[in-house]
Amino acid sequence: MSGKVDLKVVMLGQISCGKTSVVERFIYNRFNNNYQNTIGAAFGARYLDVQGKRICLGLWDTAGSERYEAMSRIYYRDAKAAVICYDITNSKSLDRAKFWVSELQRSEESCKLYLCGTKLDVVQDDPHRRQVDYHDVNDYAEQICGKFFETSSKTGHNIEELFACIVEEYAEDNAEIIATLDKSTIILKEENKSKRCC
Amino acid sequence: MAEQVEVGVAGKSSLNCTDGDVVTDVLKDDTPGVSGEVMLVNTDSFEECNHDLDTQFSGGEEISGPDSPIRKVQREQDGSNELAVGISNVSLNHEEEEKTESEETVLDANEEEEDEESTDEEYLKSSEWILKEKHVFILSESGKPIYTRHGKEDRLVTLFGVMQALVSFVADNDDVIRCIVAGNHKFVFLVKSPLILVAVSHTVASVPQLIMQLTYVHNQIVSVLTASALTRMFEKRRNYDFRHLLGGTERLLDHLLNLLDSHPSFLLGAIQCLPLNCSVRDTITNTIIQYCSKIKNLVFGLIICQNQLISLVRMKKFLLHPADLHLLFNLVNATESLKTSENWMPICLPKFDPNGYLYGHVSYLADDCEACLLLLTVDKEQFFTLSEAKQKIVDRLRRHHCLEGINVAIRSSAYTVRAVGAPELRHFLYKSKTTAQFTCPEFTPPYHTDEEQKRLYGMYQLIHHRVHSASRPLKMVYMVMDTETLVGWVTKEFELYAALEPLVTKSNAIVFVNKLLRWIKNEENKLFILNSPTF
Repeated sequence: MSGKVDLKVVMLGQISCGKTSVVERFIYNRFNNNYQNTIGAAFGARYLDVQGKRICLGLWDTAGSERYEAMSRIYYRDAKAAVICYDITNSKSLDRAKFWVSELQRSEESCKLYLCGTKLDVVQDDPHRRQVDYHDVNDYAEQICGKFFETSSKTGHNIEELFACIVEEYAEDNAEIIATLDKSTIILKEENKSKRCC
Repeated sequence: MAEQVEVGVAGKSSLNCTDGDVVTDVLKDDTPGVSGEVMLVNTDSFEECNHDLDTQFSGGEEISGPDSPIRKVQREQDGSNELAVGISNVSLNHEEEEKTESEETVLDANEEEEDEESTDEEYLKSSEWILKEKHVFILSESGKPIYTRHGKEDRLVTLFGVMQALVSFVADNDDVIRCIVAGNHKFVFLVKSPLILVAVSHTVASVPQLIMQLTYVHNQIVSVLTASALTRMFEKRRNYDFRHLLGGTERLLDHLLNLLDSHPSFLLGAIQCLPLNCSVRDTITNTIIQYCSKIKNLVFGLIICQNQLISLVRMKKFLLHPADLHLLFNLVNATESLKTSENWMPICLPKFDPNGYLYGHVSYLADDCEACLLLLTVDKEQFFTLSEAKQKIVDRLRRHHCLEGINVAIRSSAYTVRAVGAPELRHFLYKSKTTAQFTCPEFTPPYHTDEEQKRLYGMYQLIHHRVHSASRPLKMVYMVMDTETLVGWVTKEFELYAALEPLVTKSNAIVFVNKLLRWIKNEENKLFILNSPTF
């Protein structure tokens, strides 16, 4: 996990909106029903293939609690992309997401923004629980030049798509960096050097 | 209680128990677990709360001056102006506030006043809630609810109001409320501005023991927020709702309170080491040193598992306080999610520096090993350096089969009292005072049920209280009870609490206790960490 990280991504959003679940689904492909708040931040990494190259995506899963706000800067500084989460079943969490958007626009201009609605499975089971309208957020995303996904970590819906989109956009914008990366497929060939025993 | 022998500190160092049996501090040069090298701050069991009683009315906090440990580390390591980088949001205030000494106030009341006053609250009508053995409440000085062990704090608003009223009523006379005793119930107050902590208990725990528990609870909160942040928030807004900042901390508090009622480490102010062969432990320690000694700003590196210490390496000049180590144990035990990820978190160790954060790289060694590695630094930018060091440490430990060694020790290193070979000895707690470490055997019948273990723990609390009684400290106590005979023995080097068969003779008890001390001496290299490695 401590290898070179090519693409730094930070997860931000209100407490208990499901950031850790998104990360768990993306990195370990699993889902845990028991809620436990994150303390500080957790780091995870996964390799993804893009344009035939292998890229290491390092993901900072930050705590949503207000008390960590002061130190969140160390997590989003130099981040290439931010996944800003809100809970589709909680309208307040969208306000918090908007706070993070303006925070990043102010201090981290080059960071790409991805809005991520979570707990889609809940509103699919019971549409009455939806508190955040899809089109409202879609318009908002356009306004801030960001991408927008509604996801479910429980079913895995749109999680892979979200991160694939992050990686692809990164690759488009940073072709020269991508060119320096190792190929994702390893070509086996015989070594020409003669080996001598001494 | 059929019979009781007590020896006060002022008494002779030897005691004639029965004809011919003389108890002396025989094992003076041979005391188990004694070491000249110290890695933990050694404490008397009650030093903690005595200290706190002296300072608690100082206006709330000890101010972090230019000599706070975190600053010291940063200054020495950096030698530059970026000292403040690691201390997020710590404002410095050099003014010494006057300490107001106050007389202890003990109010005797015969009724639970709270009950009468707030009949509108449903919890107070629920006998299940009322009958809980121990309640712990936390509120702000202005009476805002923060935490309750049982139930929901926001539904106990009036009860919190009563507590705040009691505290401020006594404070009006420049005094401080300590406790109210009503029948079997003890209402214990700990005022640590800007917080008020209250325990209501009808367990055997004594008032000083309950104060000590509340001090631990307070330390836990400081560990999450830092003392200066607490004060700063409160100064800004007197009616601030601290739950905003403490969100998620209930889990740590619940877990801590459960442990406080059952784990002897808090009572003894000591920590337990995972019994491990010297060679394995040395390899582990050397591995940490090898990969971490070059890392600047790293203060502590430790490996722990299941409330037990495996290895601790520290920066020269700095010791770790057992109370801080207990908080680290609690953090790791109460946070299941640490198992699956590499974590980077701010941790305040109140005894090390109550006003600033250390940054902790916290991760389990491997999927197949339950031990957890903590690397604590003052530099918040160091995650990847530490992450790399961790990987190297794990690789080397695996090469040297230490992970297996730890796993084997976790499964099989606990011992039973039978190993001692003293047939009438049932259970014991032995604390080596110089190293602040203790050892105890697994519970065996008759202490195999939860109920009996709880009762035994109560007995230990009882004799612990007797030997440490402030008005009349004892050197030795011998109590014959209905179901067991209890021995408490405190010397400069150790504290021993033992439970023996109820019908054991006094002379046999002494023989067994001496045999026990010899056995611990034999095993000391396995049971204790007697050296004190540094980076």
